[in-house]
Amino acid sequence: MGRYIARRLLQGLVVIMGVTVFVFVITRLVGDPVKFMLPLSATQEERAARRAELGLDESIPRQFVEFVGDLLRFDLGESTYVRGESSLSVVFDYLPRTLQLVALGMSIAVVLSIPLGVIASRRPGGRTDRVLTTLSLIGLSMPQFFLGYILLIGFTVKLHWFESGPGPWYKNLILPAVCLALPAIGRLAMVVRSSMIDELNTQYVRVARAKGLSQRRILGVHALRNAGIPYVTLLGWELIRALAGYTVVVESVFNWPGLGFMAKTAIQNQDLYLIQAIVFVVAVIVVVLNIAIDVSYKLLDPRVKLS
Amino acid sequence: VKKRSRVLGTLVVLSLFAAACGDDDDDGDAEPEVTGATAAPGDTESTATTAAGGGTPTDGAEISIALGSEPTSLDPHLVDDGGERAINDNVYETLLTRTPEGELQPGLATDLPTQVDDTTWEFTLRDGVTFHDGTPFTAEAVVASVERMRGFIEAGTTDNDGFFSSLTGAEAVDDRTVRIMTAEADGVLPARMYWLKIVAPDAVGVDDLSDAPNGTGPYTFVSREVGSQIVLEANADYWDGAPSVGKVTYEFVSEGGTRLAGLVSGKYDLITNLPPQDVDQAPASDAIQGQEHPMIILDADEGITADPNVRLALNLAIDKDAIAEQVYGGYATPDAGQILSASILGFNEDLSAFPYDPDQAKQLIEDAGVAGQTITLVGESSGRWLNDRELVEAIASYWSQAGLEVDLQSPEFGAYLDVLFDRDNREDAIFVSSSNDLLDPDRQLSTYYQAGGIGASNSDEELSGLIDQGRAELDPDARETIYNDAVQIAYDQAYFAFLAANQDLYGTSERLDWTPRVDSKLLVKEMSVTG
Repeated sequence: MGRYIARRLLQGLVVIMGVTVFVFVITRLVGDPVKFMLPLSATQEERAARRAELGLDESIPRQFVEFVGDLLRFDLGESTYVRGESSLSVVFDYLPRTLQLVALGMSIAVVLSIPLGVIASRRPGGRTDRVLTTLSLIGLSMPQFFLGYILLIGFTVKLHWFESGPGPWYKNLILPAVCLALPAIGRLAMVVRSSMIDELNTQYVRVARAKGLSQRRILGVHALRNAGIPYVTLLGWELIRALAGYTVVVESVFNWPGLGFMAKTAIQNQDLYLIQAIVFVVAVIVVVLNIAIDVSYKLLDPRVKLS
Repeated sequence: VKKRSRVLGTLVVLSLFAAACGDDDDDGDAEPEVTGATAAPGDTESTATTAAGGGTPTDGAEISIALGSEPTSLDPHLVDDGGERAINDNVYETLLTRTPEGELQPGLATDLPTQVDDTTWEFTLRDGVTFHDGTPFTAEAVVASVERMRGFIEAGTTDNDGFFSSLTGAEAVDDRTVRIMTAEADGVLPARMYWLKIVAPDAVGVDDLSDAPNGTGPYTFVSREVGSQIVLEANADYWDGAPSVGKVTYEFVSEGGTRLAGLVSGKYDLITNLPPQDVDQAPASDAIQGQEHPMIILDADEGITADPNVRLALNLAIDKDAIAEQVYGGYATPDAGQILSASILGFNEDLSAFPYDPDQAKQLIEDAGVAGQTITLVGESSGRWLNDRELVEAIASYWSQAGLEVDLQSPEFGAYLDVLFDRDNREDAIFVSSSNDLLDPDRQLSTYYQAGGIGASNSDEELSGLIDQGRAELDPDARETIYNDAVQIAYDQAYFAFLAANQDLYGTSERLDWTPRVDSKLLVKEMSVTG
């Protein structure tokens, strides 16, 4: 397994480099942070001076050579938005809040999606199943920016149960986590349901039933475990999508100052260096997560061969 | 199991429904009320919130303020950033300050400066002032502040070079007297000294003071949690007496709806940039005619706008009153043919807004032979300025009514800036909201009125000469006359389509007692809390 992981990490490195170079080219082609740094009233000369100070007046190939040199020293440049800070340190200032959000959101999703899926699979096409399937569909098809505002208006503005913005988790994090979780719950519960239906129709389950095993044991130990692989695959996908996308929307709506919120700000201000650092760190996390998911297949089902 | 799950499903649906449609009668206490203190549309002067009936202020109270963006730095010399100023205006002080109405007045200096010669100004400093760390405030600190800023300008690291590049140095005559030198005669210097925050002498050579703000102001820095909040507390030893509010927490909320939600829920006492459409929802609100002047820059050199009669027609075609009413909900005043606020030196009282005369506009367009031709109008689509999209759309429609084909372009803010700053190809008409930081006409006019300014679209040498002259003139009365003339020329030539200046709108809690300022500074020492 060690060799497998090493090989995957090596592949991942190529992916990360590719992504980083791609972002470098894109940001240099379209971005000019100086526009956003100086007051609107700054003169052409003042702007040109700042561009020169940042090295942005050099040719792109020349900038690229310097960029690669810096990257090898893990120097992704100073943020032009959060002044006087290296962009990597800005990323690590904001990343923990995103990890908290994703951890809580995905925990909610897991804790709710499994029982919901199992319950729905008990009698496919029955009333419970239809209600739960409809709810799941509503959850997974509701855009998060819309869902977020519904939650905010209801629970924060009207009911005062929660607050928006930064703050303690029980006041400020639950709502964005729920917003992040709801579509995932829908998708995950659907996967649990369909895998369970498949499993419950297999011969080994029938044999188990004939043997007189309890329903709980059949569901909990045998069927659920076998339904695990598609579930983990989707959960991994949800995690990655949350980290590399959904949190941008959710954090912006709830004003939760995590990395997604910062990513939006960095793009708005064309902070080339910060955008690069964010993409770099997120790419690393995604690569590691992907490897972790593959390895978890092996743990769930020893028959799986990692190759 | 089946029954339970149905109950669960019903509960989920019900709670979502209840949350979304929450009955107003159930939570009457939480419902926003329109109090008598809520600013009425159309007020041009500030409307103070005295919701609590003017009871005695509670000294030592804690308040919370939501800002639209987090400071990008806490160094008072490095960035040009509203978030930074909102905090540091309370921590640091300047030699001169302004009254809430915008008049220059002494701050750390005891009086307005005197001139030693054309390029040397002398300030007498207040006695008995100390920095938060105990360092006494003397002429040395002023010299240090000027030198630090000059170092930053030389290194190209400050965003404020435009404000201070005329300074050449400072010298201490004695502890209480300091001289500041400029390269050339600089009539803007007193206004610049309202902008240069004074740091302690040991700040020279420090690249970034963000971690340890140390000023002489009424509030001291307590803590900062990046991305989350900044806390200041009252400086008990403040030279002008300890302020009423004991502690202030700033939170950073970029989303307007979220700011409003926090205000309504009682989390915040003050929020900035309250949209006019939300005034009714805020517990109380304050409005003041600040420095924002939305306008359209017309290309006087090329294209169909090169004809002064066309530019006049473009002005006559716009119903400024309707814009003030519809785009800004009444919280705006038609501009009097200039982009200077009445609080700015040089404001020309003889000018008034071009009338709304669609018939004459149409006639002028026809006479100029440009009827049916295309005029390009560039706005922006990121919502950078209040309701700016609605504004440019309204203008486009007025202009097409006057007989022109309007090519309305609304790129996102970054791409829009490329158009605004493009000196080689000026678009026919570019929307911008002009502001004024120093409350001095120079920078605003150099940017938009003076040929070659980054937002200017004319090559009027007489106008350009007047603006240079105004900068070099040291006598405020003479400056006033020069700027009056400059503003008159731009009006006569209709270099811009003048619109309506939107007011600064703040949402406040009912307990906060505060009057907004024309310079939009949020000075906590001017705030108090009742009840």
